[in-house]
Amino acid sequence: MTDYGHDLIFGTFVTPTARNASDVVDLAVLADRSGIDLVTFQDHPYQSSFLDTSTLLAFVAARTRNIRVAANVANLPLRPPAVLARASASLDVLSGGRFELGLGAGAFWNAIEAVGGRRLTPGQGVTALREAIEIIRAIWDTDARGDVRHDGEFYRTDGAKRGPRPAHPISIWVGAYKPKMLALTGTHGDGWMPAIPNLPNGAASYPDHNARIDEAAVAAGRSPSAIRRFGVLIGGGFGGTPRGLLDGPVEMWTEQLAGLALEHGVSGFVVATDDPSTTQRYGLEVVPAVRELVARERG
Amino acid sequence: MDVGLGVLLDAARLPGARLTDLAVRAEQRGLDLVVVGGVQGGLDPLTVAAWVAGATSRILVGVADAGVPPAPDTGDPEQPFPFVVDKSLDGLGLLSGDRLLRGPGAWSVAVDSTIDAVKAAAGAGVPVVVAVRTVHDVDRVVELRVVDHARRPASVRARRMPGIDYEGVPDVLAAGVVEPGDSAYRSVASTYMRGGAPGLVLRATTVEEVAAAITFARRHTDLPLGVRSGGHGFSGRSTNHGGLVVDVGGMDGVEVIDPDRRLVRVGPGASWKRVATALRPYGWAIGSGDAGGVGVGGLATAGGIGFLSRKQGLTIDRVRAVELVLADGSPIRASDDENPDLFWALRGAGANFGVATAFEIEAEPIGDVGWASLALVVDDVAEALEHYGRVASEAPRDTTLFMMIGPPRGGRSVMQLYGVVDNADPDTIISRLTPFARIGPIVQQSVTVSAYADVMDMTDTGPGGHQGVGEPVARSTLFREFTPEVARLAADAVASGGVGILSVRQMGGAIADVPEGATAFSHRDAGFAVAVLGSNARRVDAAWDPVRGLGIGSYLSFETDQSPERLGDAFPPPVLDRLRELKRRYDPGFLFRDNFPIDPRPADARLEETAR
Repeated sequence: MTDYGHDLIFGTFVTPTARNASDVVDLAVLADRSGIDLVTFQDHPYQSSFLDTSTLLAFVAARTRNIRVAANVANLPLRPPAVLARASASLDVLSGGRFELGLGAGAFWNAIEAVGGRRLTPGQGVTALREAIEIIRAIWDTDARGDVRHDGEFYRTDGAKRGPRPAHPISIWVGAYKPKMLALTGTHGDGWMPAIPNLPNGAASYPDHNARIDEAAVAAGRSPSAIRRFGVLIGGGFGGTPRGLLDGPVEMWTEQLAGLALEHGVSGFVVATDDPSTTQRYGLEVVPAVRELVARERG
Repeated sequence: MDVGLGVLLDAARLPGARLTDLAVRAEQRGLDLVVVGGVQGGLDPLTVAAWVAGATSRILVGVADAGVPPAPDTGDPEQPFPFVVDKSLDGLGLLSGDRLLRGPGAWSVAVDSTIDAVKAAAGAGVPVVVAVRTVHDVDRVVELRVVDHARRPASVRARRMPGIDYEGVPDVLAAGVVEPGDSAYRSVASTYMRGGAPGLVLRATTVEEVAAAITFARRHTDLPLGVRSGGHGFSGRSTNHGGLVVDVGGMDGVEVIDPDRRLVRVGPGASWKRVATALRPYGWAIGSGDAGGVGVGGLATAGGIGFLSRKQGLTIDRVRAVELVLADGSPIRASDDENPDLFWALRGAGANFGVATAFEIEAEPIGDVGWASLALVVDDVAEALEHYGRVASEAPRDTTLFMMIGPPRGGRSVMQLYGVVDNADPDTIISRLTPFARIGPIVQQSVTVSAYADVMDMTDTGPGGHQGVGEPVARSTLFREFTPEVARLAADAVASGGVGILSVRQMGGAIADVPEGATAFSHRDAGFAVAVLGSNARRVDAAWDPVRGLGIGSYLSFETDQSPERLGDAFPPPVLDRLRELKRRYDPGFLFRDNFPIDPRPADARLEETAR
C-alpha cells in the first residue's frame, strides 16, 4: 500500500486529429459536462495530421467551464521554455486557473531536427529539461526582482522579462521513464505523468519507479507527497465481459482504477479514448464510483 | 461587400477577463473582426487569439505574425520555432472554422476612433479595426458602422430585395440593420429550425429601437414580418424570404429586481440557459422548456412546457408583468393591475399583440436536481407508449421525463427518456426513475445530480450559431391521457414512416392548478403535449390526422400548420373570440400576422376572403 494522500484527478487523453478538429473539441466539451477533471492532448508538432497542441488547449479551455487542460506532455525541444511559460501563464489567466503544464524532454529526434529543433542525447535532454523548469518557474515568479538570467548548458538569456503571472500555482507534471528523468521528477516536478503501457512492466513498474522518485525528492529535501503520480491508460470500452485493463463492465474499471490508487498511490488517471460514449460513461459512472471506493478504503 | 469593421485588443495591457468580454461584445454587436495585438510583457497574443476564437462563434479573429527571424537560436528560451508558430496558426484556422486572419496586412488600424480615421484606414481595402479598452469603446465602434453602413458600397446595394425602403431605415436602427450584402448576413439569415433569406434584419436593443422597427414595418405591410428572440421556434416565423425580421436577441439582460419576491426582470433575447446561470447563485430557477438555447420571448408569450412545469406551472404562470411595443409603435405594460385584458392575451397568444421588450417573472427556489437520460428498446410501441403514459401520469410533481421515439428498425424502436427529478437525494431520484426504467430493456443511461443551470447548459445548442435549412413540419396535439386507442394510433403513425419523431412532454401537476380561462393558453386539463416531426407535410398529416381526432387541443409552439383549424385547436371558441376582440383593439391593422394570426375582421369579412 502506497498513498501520497492526494485527492483524485480523472482525465482523458484525446487524439488531436486535425481532420476532425470539431470532434476533438466536442470530446473535450463532453468530458467537461460529464464531470471529468482534466483533458489532455499529446504534443508532436512535427506530426502533420495533428493540430497544434498549444492553440488547441486554449481553444478548448474557452469552450469548457470546469475542466482543466494540459499537454500530455509538451515537447520541450520545440517549445522554448520562456515561450512555453508565457503561453501557459496566459492561458491560466484566461481560463481562471484551469491550466497545468505537462512537460517532457522529447523523443523522435529525427522529426524534431527536421522542423528546426536540435538533437539531444537522452542525458542532455534531462539537463535541458531541468534548465527549462528553472526558467519557466522564474518567468512565472513575478514577485522576484529583476529580469530572468540563465547561463546554462542548453539555454542562455541575460535578461528575459518576468510574467505574466499565472492565476494559480501551475503544476509541472513530467513525462518520465528512465532513472535520471525519474530523479529529476523527484527533485523538480509536481507530478509524474507516465503512460502505463510504456512502463517496462506496465503497472508493476510503479513500486520501483515510485521509489526512485521518492528517493530523489527526499535527497532534495522535498516530501515524496509533493509529487502527484499519474497513470495514462488506454480506455478499451464498456463491454459486458471483462477483457482486460479498462475493457469490460463499469465495476471492473472501478476496481482497476481504485486498485492503482490504493496499491501504487496513483492519484491522477488519464484515460485515452476518442469515443464519446466511453468518455461519458467513464465520467458519469466510473469516476464517482472510484472516488467512493477509494474514500472508503482510505477510511 | 463592405470592407468590415472590428476592434483591436491589446493583450499586453488588458486584463484577461476583459479581453474575453470585449471580444464577445464585439461579436454580439455584429462587428466583423477582433484583432489580438500586444507586445511582450502581457498575455501571449497567440494564446489570447486561440482563446478568443473558442469564446466566440462567428466573428473573424486576427492575430499578427510575430515576424520570427529565419535562423532561430535554439538556445534562446524566448525564441519560438517558425515551424511551430506556423502550425499553431494553421491549427487555429481549422479549429475556428476558418475565422483566422493572419496579419498584419489583413487589416488596417484606424489611428483613433473617429469616423475620419476609419474612413482613412478603409482606403486600404481591408477591414478596419479600432483599438478598444472598454465595453463602451466597443459600442462606440458599432456606432461608427452606422455611418459606414449608410453609404453601403454598390456591391452591397446590388443585393437588396424589392419592396424594402433600405434608404429609409430610421437612424436609431442604423447600427443594427443587416441587409443581404452585409458580411454579418449569413449569421442572421437562418434560425435553428428554418432556413431563410430575409430582405432586412432590424436588430433592436432598446424599447425605442423596437418602436422604430415596428413603425418601419408598418410601412411594409405587404411583406412577411418575423419577430425573433432566440430563433428556436418551430411555429414562430422568426425568419422568412424577402421580408423583415425584428430581432431582439440583443435585449438579453437578466436582473433580480425584488429579492424578497424573487422577482426577476428578463429581456426577450436572453436564452433560458442564460437565465438559469444568472439565477444559480441565488438558488432559484424559472422553469422554461427542455432546451437551454431557446430564447425567453417566444416561449414566455406562448406557454412553456418544461422540466419544472409540473411543480411550478407553465412559464407564463410565473410571469407577473410584460412590457411590449404595440403595432402602433407605443410601449405598454401589462400585468394583473395594468391592462389585464392584454396581460391575459399575452400569456398564450402573445405573438399576435406586439413585440415584448421585458418580462418580470417570479422565480422559485431550487436545489440540485437529478438529470436523467435513458434509452430503452421497445418491441411493441403502442404498449410502451401506454406504459409510459401510465407511469408519467402517476409520477409525483417533482418528476418530469419527456420522451422521444422514432420509427422501428428491425422490428424494434428506441425510446429516449430525458428529464429532471427535482430532488437532490440519489435514492429518491432512483426510486422516481425506476418505474420509467421498467418500460423496456435499458441500452443507455446516465443519471447525474446537477444544478438546474447545468441541465440548461447540457441542452444548449452550442456556440456554432443557427444554420437551419428548409422548412420543418411539426404537428402538436394535446391529450388528457394515453388511452389504449391513442397509444395504438400514435404507434401506427410512427410505424407508417410519415412521422420521423414522436415526442411527448408530460403536463399535468401545477399546470392544471391554474383555472382554465385565467390565461389565453387553454387546455390545462391536458396530461401530455405530443409533437410529431417530419419532412413532408402531406405525409405527416396523412399519418397524424387519425390521432389528432382523439386529442383535446394543440400547443402552438410545436405546430407549423398555420391554418385557422389549428388556431381553433389551440384556442376554444370563447377564448378565440375574446382574442379576436382584443386583436381588434390592439392590432386593428393586422400587422402581426406571421405567427398563428388571429384575423381581427368580423367573421363575414373573413369568409368573403376565403371564398375569393
